Amino acid sequence: MTKMSPMDELIQALIQRPNFGVFVILFLWGIYIMAVHPNYVKKLIGLYIVQTSVVFFLVAFSAKDGATVPVISAEMASLEPLVSANPLPHALTVTAIVVQVATLGVSLALVSAIYRKYGSLDEDEVLKRVG
Amino acid sequence: MSSQLPILLFLVPFVTAVAMPILCAKRRSWCQPLTTGAVSVMVVLSIINLRVVLSEGPIEYAFGGWGAPLGIAWLDDPLAAVMALAMTAVALLSLIYGRVVVPSNLDRSVPYYTLILLFTAALIGIVFAADLFNVFVFLEVAALTGYALVGAGGGKALVYAFRYLLLGSFGATLYLLGVSYLYAAVGTLNMVDLAARLPELMTSTAVVTGLVFVFLGLSIKMALIPLHGWLPGAYANAPQSVAPLLASTITKVSLVVWVRIEFSIIAPGVEVSHIPVLVLLEDIGALVAVIGGALALVQTNIKRMFAYGGIGHIGLILIGVSLGNSTALTGGLFYLINDAVMQATLFMVAGAVLHYHGAHSLDDLKGVSSRSPWLTGALVVVAVSMVGLPPTGGFFGKWNIVLGALEAQHYLAVFAVLVSTLLTLGYFLRLFSCWFHQPATIESEQLEVAVPLRVSLGLASVAMIVLGFMSDSIVRVLFDSLTSGGS
Repeated sequence: MTKMSPMDELIQALIQRPNFGVFVILFLWGIYIMAVHPNYVKKLIGLYIVQTSVVFFLVAFSAKDGATVPVISAEMASLEPLVSANPLPHALTVTAIVVQVATLGVSLALVSAIYRKYGSLDEDEVLKRVG
Repeated sequence: MSSQLPILLFLVPFVTAVAMPILCAKRRSWCQPLTTGAVSVMVVLSIINLRVVLSEGPIEYAFGGWGAPLGIAWLDDPLAAVMALAMTAVALLSLIYGRVVVPSNLDRSVPYYTLILLFTAALIGIVFAADLFNVFVFLEVAALTGYALVGAGGGKALVYAFRYLLLGSFGATLYLLGVSYLYAAVGTLNMVDLAARLPELMTSTAVVTGLVFVFLGLSIKMALIPLHGWLPGAYANAPQSVAPLLASTITKVSLVVWVRIEFSIIAPGVEVSHIPVLVLLEDIGALVAVIGGALALVQTNIKRMFAYGGIGHIGLILIGVSLGNSTALTGGLFYLINDAVMQATLFMVAGAVLHYHGAHSLDDLKGVSSRSPWLTGALVVVAVSMVGLPPTGGFFGKWNIVLGALEAQHYLAVFAVLVSTLLTLGYFLRLFSCWFHQPATIESEQLEVAVPLRVSLGLASVAMIVLGFMSDSIVRVLFDSLTSGGS
């Protein structure tokens, strides 16, 4: 087998694991939205996309084809690692989603307070009014 | 009973926070005493906890009886116990102080005191948590309550709280990404397990990337330059009763988390693609210490000056913990405890000056000294400690960092500590030249400084000096806990 260049290796890795390609795209896209849009709500959407992409990453690397629930029944001596899903990343995912929801709640409360006070959601406009 | 101490320390503020809306809905005036009471109980518990840990060794607390690899574990070692005591003590100081300067709309507000209690509970969680994901959850609880507390100031504070939220949540997301990289590579989240398995995996790209993301996430939380953008605005505009609490805790515990990871995983001399990791971290610390000091020197707003001073001191601590020998490491950790007290005192003084004299900037300070002897006394003590003169704790921390740097023969670090000391001296001289400036018409009548303020300023000043006298024993405790293998 001939040696591949790093670029070819990257392309091959992306074709073999499209999930991770999607993660990278979502992550960078979210950062772009957070950095570029002056609108507070759009910034929040960017943040939410970044957070979701990380959750997606957690799910993507822990997915297992044809795996079942990891529960030990009375007849089984031990759990077969190849056919049962790893429960830990899923537990982490659920917790991370809860944290995201809490963040979203606090941030929307702040945004609405800013809107009531300064009458705008545009960062440049608000900063001008803050002085 | 004593094995339940860590969880008791967490449950006291947590249960009080949950019960607060029920107990105080009709009796708003109970909020403040109830909160102060709960935090006082925490201080007492953490003193008992420290004594137990020192005499009987570390406590491993397994939730629901499920041990470390499967269940969720907390580790209560001397480092955690000392940090818990420091955090609860500064929280109590800020609460006593808060009675004086709390804005009238928050004075009898149930949500405000609930948030403060949840924030303290989360700090305890971060200090004790023994796995990386638990740390993430508690960091987020602390951060979310922190955003809300900053935003409670209303007006300008809302905008800065939102900026803090965007950056802080992004940092937490980076941290989570790093943790998931580490989990994917190693298959465990427990810090003790990680410490055992990671060192041989340091050549793996996934592990290195994971550690980089964890560091980036935490450095947003600890406001490491150039990721400090959220801090000065948030602290300068937060309600005055909140600023000392936030300034003295959140950046410090994030740094403690990083110290735990760094100390147990990155051995001295580890190189990643020919870059020695610890030296790199130490150089970052040196840069931060110097730049933070320089930025503080050019500020005219008092609170911003103190905020940048605090950012510079994070750099100093990072130098200490990254030198790779135990003298500097214990020096750095000891300095961290001092820094918590110093930041609390600085923001108490800044808040009180604003409250009594309406002084925002250095020029407004003229003639304050003759009217507020208590503030002047506390400011002089904290200045001595910040610059690092004996007998205050600041001196012994810096002294150990410099000794460690000489031991490791890293003269750049010594130089950075010296430059940062000179810069600190510089901005305090600027501050004092305005503070002790006598106006033409001397108003001799003293402003009534309320008793709680005197108590908190007095306790903080005494604490800084006592830390200096007790530095030997505290350093020995930290030293023993780090060298005995417990992380």
